[in-house]
Amino acid sequence: MSAAQIRFLTLWRREVNRFMKIKKQTLGAPLLETFLYISVFGAALGSRIKELHGFEYIIFVIPGLIMMAWATNAFANNSSSILQQKFQGAIHDQLSSPASPLELLLAFCLGGFMRGLLVAALTFVAASILVDLPVEHILVLIPALFLVGFFFANLGVLIGVRAEQFDDVALAQTFVLQPLIFLGGVFYSAALLPQPFETLTRLNPVYYMIGLVRYGFLGYSESSVAVALLALTGATAALFLFNLRLFSSGYRLRS
Amino acid sequence: MSEKALQIENLVKRYPTGVEALRSVSLDIESGDFFGLLGPNGAGKSTLIHCTTGLAQPTSGTIEVYGHDAIKNYAEARQAVGLAPQEPNLDWFLTVEETLEYHAGYFGMPKRERRERVGELLEIFSLVEKRDERTRTLSGGMKRRLLLARALMHKPPLLILDEPTAGVDIELRLELWHYVQRINQEGTTILLTTHYLEEAEQLCNRIAFINDGQIAAQGSSAELARDYGVNSLEDAYLELVGRKELSRSRAEELASS
Repeated sequence: MSAAQIRFLTLWRREVNRFMKIKKQTLGAPLLETFLYISVFGAALGSRIKELHGFEYIIFVIPGLIMMAWATNAFANNSSSILQQKFQGAIHDQLSSPASPLELLLAFCLGGFMRGLLVAALTFVAASILVDLPVEHILVLIPALFLVGFFFANLGVLIGVRAEQFDDVALAQTFVLQPLIFLGGVFYSAALLPQPFETLTRLNPVYYMIGLVRYGFLGYSESSVAVALLALTGATAALFLFNLRLFSSGYRLRS
Repeated sequence: MSEKALQIENLVKRYPTGVEALRSVSLDIESGDFFGLLGPNGAGKSTLIHCTTGLAQPTSGTIEVYGHDAIKNYAEARQAVGLAPQEPNLDWFLTVEETLEYHAGYFGMPKRERRERVGELLEIFSLVEKRDERTRTLSGGMKRRLLLARALMHKPPLLILDEPTAGVDIELRLELWHYVQRINQEGTTILLTTHYLEEAEQLCNRIAFINDGQIAAQGSSAELARDYGVNSLEDAYLELVGRKELSRSRAEELASS
């Protein structure tokens, strides 16, 4: 293994190790949260709503919950990990190493990505035990989930780098991310909303991410899958390149 | 001609606030030197160190570590430097062993070599019993030991010690002195910043005074005293900072007259 490979793997291993050390908080709590959503929206509301676009309500909701689990965990992990390390000064150990900006950024991204993947995978397993969850288009589902995970991992990095206090991270999570996800159609179909709420939902980029994942699982989509996939790829690449520029310039990382 | 461990030319560091922390600093440290950088708080010592290790970005000027440009060839330059910072910057989530192991990984050290080196340094710095403890539970002295061990993990030829003995007890201070003297004799170049003048006098073969972002003077302890027309390094330093009324020899003269 080359020195660069050892370096990158160590940076990534450190990020995974960090969230694995506090599993109750980083894996247990999100799993419980998702289980509560399934219980409330599936068992309680589902008994009233019955079907949406020909699917049992609980089955209609689960793809969005899986996406939400991946997105929120990838974001939360990276934003808090970077801010915490900046706060402690521990990030200086990585910044003064020979690691390149690309290696540092990728390692941080993949840390959150892995946490999101683990929570999403466990949610999928748990959901599959409870209901018969179909997977209609795996070739759309896998890239869609990976892109969503990588996009939110990058968003977490961006917020973590910009943040100067824990309030900054909480602000982004509570007032931007959560509303976008909740109003992006995890629990409902935009087509059933009255105006102007339908249009507002369609202006939300998260709506298309949920749509892609839902299409991968159920084969049902309210928008163009190809356009959504292309737009998500473009947005993820743009965010990654923007973060790389921040890491290269040392913005709020190096004085 | 001896090799230069650190060569700094016309280094300027201006912060976005407009504060000029370093004003055209030039400094050469020969390989094998035990070099002391002395100056009052806010003189620019830590900024100079941060520019050398990549934690701060110079506004202009050049820094070369063993011939490697610290900006253009940062990977090679940083590989050659070990930094024990002034403020403990340990990750609270990591154990003592993980702190050392990850650091070595960041510098590309293979697994077997990492394990051997971790064992060696835990032994040297009396950290064996603490190896599985999280860093936040360590005492101040133990944190200092760990910072020094971490800086040495990747066997850097240039070791930078930013006030390594600030706030440590006498026993640990002497222990650290003995160890850094030994590795200096074995070939490691050391750049030390300290507020303890006796520490610089005891350890360093060359010393530079930095004040207000500029190198004011450099040489051996005796040369600095001679340059300032006084009898000791302490008096030369007091001349530098404009507080010669605090001189102990002057106080003794006054007391005897």
